[in-house]
Amino acid sequence: MHKLLCLILVIGLIAGCSPAPVSDELVVAIPTDPDNFHPHQSVAAATAEIAYNIYEGLVKAAPDGSIIPALAAEWDISPDGLKYTFTLREGAKFHNGREVTADDAVYCLSRLANPEISPKSRDYTSVQTIEAKGNQVIITLTKPDAVFLALLTEFGASIYPREAEEQLSTKPIGTGPFVLTAWEPNNSLTLDKFEQYWNPQLPKLEKVTLKIIPEPTTMVNSLLTGHVDLVPRLEPDYLHQVEDQPDLQIIDSPMNLVQLMAINNSVPPFDDIRVRQALNYAVNRQEIIQGAGWGKGTAIGSNLTPAMGPWYIDLTDMYPYNPEKAKELLTEAGYPQGFSATLHLPAPYPLHRNAGEIIADQLEAVGIKLKLEVIEWGTWLEQVNANRDYELTVVGFTGRLDPHTMLNRYQSQSGRNISYFNNPEYDELLVQGLEETDPAARVEIYQQLQTILAQEASNVYIMDPSQIAVMSRDLKGWANYPVYVLDLAPLYRSK
Amino acid sequence: MYWLKKLAGMLATLLLVSMLTFGALYLIPGDPAVLILGTEAEPHDLELVRSQLGLDRPVTAQYTRWLSDAVHGDFGDSITFSKGYSVSRLVASALPVTIPLAVVAILLSLLLATPLGAFAASRRGGKLDSLILTLSQTGLSIPAFWLGILAIQFFAVDLGWFPPGSMPKWSADPAGAAVSLLLPALVLAVPRAAILTRIVRTAMLEALGEEYIRTARGKGVSEWVIVSKHALKNALVSISTVAGIQLIQLLAGTIVIEQVFSLPGLGRLILSSVLLRDLPVVQGAVFAGAALILAVNFLLDSVYPLIDPRIRGVA
Repeated sequence: MHKLLCLILVIGLIAGCSPAPVSDELVVAIPTDPDNFHPHQSVAAATAEIAYNIYEGLVKAAPDGSIIPALAAEWDISPDGLKYTFTLREGAKFHNGREVTADDAVYCLSRLANPEISPKSRDYTSVQTIEAKGNQVIITLTKPDAVFLALLTEFGASIYPREAEEQLSTKPIGTGPFVLTAWEPNNSLTLDKFEQYWNPQLPKLEKVTLKIIPEPTTMVNSLLTGHVDLVPRLEPDYLHQVEDQPDLQIIDSPMNLVQLMAINNSVPPFDDIRVRQALNYAVNRQEIIQGAGWGKGTAIGSNLTPAMGPWYIDLTDMYPYNPEKAKELLTEAGYPQGFSATLHLPAPYPLHRNAGEIIADQLEAVGIKLKLEVIEWGTWLEQVNANRDYELTVVGFTGRLDPHTMLNRYQSQSGRNISYFNNPEYDELLVQGLEETDPAARVEIYQQLQTILAQEASNVYIMDPSQIAVMSRDLKGWANYPVYVLDLAPLYRSK
Repeated sequence: MYWLKKLAGMLATLLLVSMLTFGALYLIPGDPAVLILGTEAEPHDLELVRSQLGLDRPVTAQYTRWLSDAVHGDFGDSITFSKGYSVSRLVASALPVTIPLAVVAILLSLLLATPLGAFAASRRGGKLDSLILTLSQTGLSIPAFWLGILAIQFFAVDLGWFPPGSMPKWSADPAGAAVSLLLPALVLAVPRAAILTRIVRTAMLEALGEEYIRTARGKGVSEWVIVSKHALKNALVSISTVAGIQLIQLLAGTIVIEQVFSLPGLGRLILSSVLLRDLPVVQGAVFAGAALILAVNFLLDSVYPLIDPRIRGVA
C-alpha cells in the first residue's frame, strides 16, 4: 500500500513537471451558420469566409491583395489579354482522395459561367471557351477583361470534383487545407486537418471547431472564460470588455468595407446635387468613427477603401466637415429651413445603426430632420436594396480584390445601383477600365471613377471600419486579408 | 367518440397553424432569394434563384404542394439556412434541446414554488407571507434576457460553474450538454416559480378553509401533516393546470433564452429561419411546436383523473 502511494506520488510529480503539451485545436466563435457550401449557390460573405479553408480555385488572394498560385502552379496571359493558360499543380488532391485534373476545372468554371444555372454568371460574360489540354486549363475571352484573374480567386470559382455535385451544399469537397467533418446547424461546424493537402507545411492545427454564437455578449463571455479561443469579428461596442485582459490579444486591421450613407439620387430633394453636397459637408466622419467605431476605422471619400492599395485615391478633403457651408448650400437649393427625410437602418448591424443615429444628430444641426426607421435585414434587402424604395440608408459594401467589381454597381443600368447614380462619363469609363490592359492606365481610370462619385456627391462615404479580431494570447500566425476570408491554415499555438 | 372529436380538433388546429404561418411569411417583405443574394442582387439573379427554389409559382400552389408533402411525412428541405438539410432533421436536432430545457425549468419552478407557496399560505398575513409575496412580485417583473445576462456574468464568468453559452451534442458529451442546460433552465424557472408560488398559495388557502381541514385539526392532526398531505393534495389540480400552461408557454417561448445562451433549440431555429425567410423550416418548426403543445394538453387531460379521483368517469 505504501509503495503504491509512493508510485502515484512520483508519477504525479513527473506529470506535473513536464510542460503541458501545446494544444493543436482551436475553438472559433462566428455569429451565423454558413448558408450553403455549393460554390455556385452561396453568395453570403459569411460562407465564403469559412469556405476559404475548404475549397480552392486556380488562384487565390494573398494578404497584401496580390494574386498567388493555388491549384494552378503557374499561369500565362497572352499579350492581347484574351487567352489565359493555367498549368495545374502536380499531385493536388480532393478531400475524397482523387487527384485534381484539368477536366474538373473545366467542368466547374463552365458551370459557373452558365447563366442558366449560376446566379454568379454575370461576372463571367467575357468567357468564350474553357478547355482542358493535358494538365493545362485554357480560357479564351471574347474581349480583354482586366478583372478576370481576380474573379478566379473568389469562392464561386472553386474547383470541386464533379462526382460530388449533388452533396456540396452540406458536405463540401474541395482541395483546401481543412475538411468539413461535421455540421450541426445553429450549433457548430468541425474542420479537421486535410492530411493530403498539397502544401505539407499547412495547416498547422489539427482541428478547428466553429461555434455559432449569435449574441456578442455570449461571444465575449466565452472568450473571457476560455471556452472560445478566437472571435474573428467583434462588434466595436464590446471592445472595452476584452481590452486589458492578460490572456487575450486584440488585432485590428482594415476591413475593406465601404460604409456609406446611400442617397437615393432620383427623389427630391436629393436629386439636387447641392442638397447631396450639403449632406456631405454636414456629416462629421471623425465623430462617427469615434462614436460608432470606438475610434477604429479610416475615413473615406468615395466607394473604395485604402485597403485597395494603388487603386485607392484619397478624396476625404473634398467635403471637409463644414456645417456653415452645408447651410449655405441648402439655402441655395431652396431649403433655408432644412427639410425632413427618412433614414432606414438595418437592424442586425450595430455599426450602421450607431452611425445612422450620429448622422441624424449631425444633420439636425443644419436643419435636416431625419426620421430613423430601424428595419430587419430581409425587409432592408427587399425594400431598400431590391426595390430602391427609400431616401437615405446606412449600409456597408464588402470589398473585392479588383476595383471594378466595387465600382460597377454605379453603372446607370446596374441592378445594384441603389443610389440611382446616373452619369454617362462614368459608364463610359467603366467600359474602358475593363478593356484596358496597361496597369498604370487602369489605375488612372479607376481613380477617375472614384473622383466622379465624390464630385457628384453620389452618397456620403463614411469609413472603412476596422475588423477587430480578439484571440487568446498564445495564438500566432493571424493573417489579415483585403477580402472577406478567415484564413485558419497558418494559425498555431505557442506559449 | 370523445377521443375522435379531440383528435379532429387537434388536426384542425394544426392545419390552421400551418396556413397562418405560410400566410404570415408571405406578407412580410423580403423573400429567400433576396436574402440569399444580399447586397449583390441583380434582377436577373433574383429571378434565377426564385425559379430554382420554386418561388415563382403561385402562393396557393406552393401551399398545397407543401401540405400534400407534409401529409405524407415529407416536410421538405431548408432553402436558405444550411441549404439541403431536411426540415425533419433540423427539427429533430432542436427538440432534444428545447424539451429538456422546458421540462427541467418547469420542475425547478415547481420545486421552488410548492414549498414557498404552501409555507406562505400556512403563515397567511404574517411577515414571511408578505416577504414571499414580494419576492414573487420581483421574480415576475424581471425580464428573462436580463436575468440571463446577469446569471451568465455571475455563474459562468465570475464563478466559472457553467459554460457561458452554447451546448455540445447529447451523443458527444451528455454530461456537458446537461450542465449547459442547467443555468438557462434556472433562469427560465424564476418567473414561472414566481407565478406558481402565488397559485400554490391561493390554492392552499382555499384548501385550508375546507371543512375536512377543520375536522383534521379537530382530531389533533399535526399542522405539518395537514398542510403537506391533506391541503396540498387537494390543491394539486389547480397547480398542475397552471404548471401545464406554463410548460406550454415554455415550449413556445424559449426563443429569447436560447438566443442569450446560444442554445440550438426550437426557438432559435424558428427565429433564424424567419430572419432568412426559410419557409419550409419555419413551417416545419412551428408545426412541431404546435404539435408539442397539443400533446402536452392531451397529456394534461389524461393526467387529471390520476390526480383527482372525482374526475374519473366524468370523461
